[in-house]
Amino acid sequence: MAFEQEPEYSAAEAEDIVERTIEQHEVALFMKGTPMMPQCGYSRKAIKLLQLHRDDVETVDILQATEQFRAALKPHSGRETIPQAFVDGEFVGGSDILEQLHEQDDLADTLNA
Amino acid sequence: MVSVLPAWGYRHRMEPDDIEALIERTVPDAEATVKTPRDPDDDKHFAIEVVSPAFAGETLVDQHQLVHDALDGRLTKDIHAIELRTRTPE
Repeated sequence: MAFEQEPEYSAAEAEDIVERTIEQHEVALFMKGTPMMPQCGYSRKAIKLLQLHRDDVETVDILQATEQFRAALKPHSGRETIPQAFVDGEFVGGSDILEQLHEQDDLADTLNA
Repeated sequence: MVSVLPAWGYRHRMEPDDIEALIERTVPDAEATVKTPRDPDDDKHFAIEVVSPAFAGETLVDQHQLVHDALDGRLTKDIHAIELRTRTPE
């Protein structure tokens, strides 16, 4: 795994970023890395699936403060694993749920596409 | 009979059998199958399939939540990531 770096955000800042992001963006993805350079295969899979249907996905690179973001996401999704996708503020899944929705042809509906 | 689990936070190498037992103990009438999907030296990624009647009528998010709850405290630590499939019995 990647080396641990100093967190760029405090716990309170991470909570604030999570809340603002899911409130202000219809589709949001918390991932490791960026859409151009995902740092984990699961995050890569998640952003690719979302971008099949939406070109306006807001992303947050949780590696900027990994433990702070895991803790900040848990009240919203019930989990700490990354990636996590939200639509209209609701948790809709990690990469495996997105993949299953895609296979069932339900992903476009889930993403309001 | 419920057996004693290692204390949370104790770093314990998780074997596929341990994960199956943990899920089957928590999710009602579950049948869990756990495999390591990646290279054999990687002991922290697992592919998990869980079949349980408890998933009937639940959304995928809620189905997955039942399994995540069963693994609470181990995910992201002893277990880096899971590839999870849930379904009800045929």
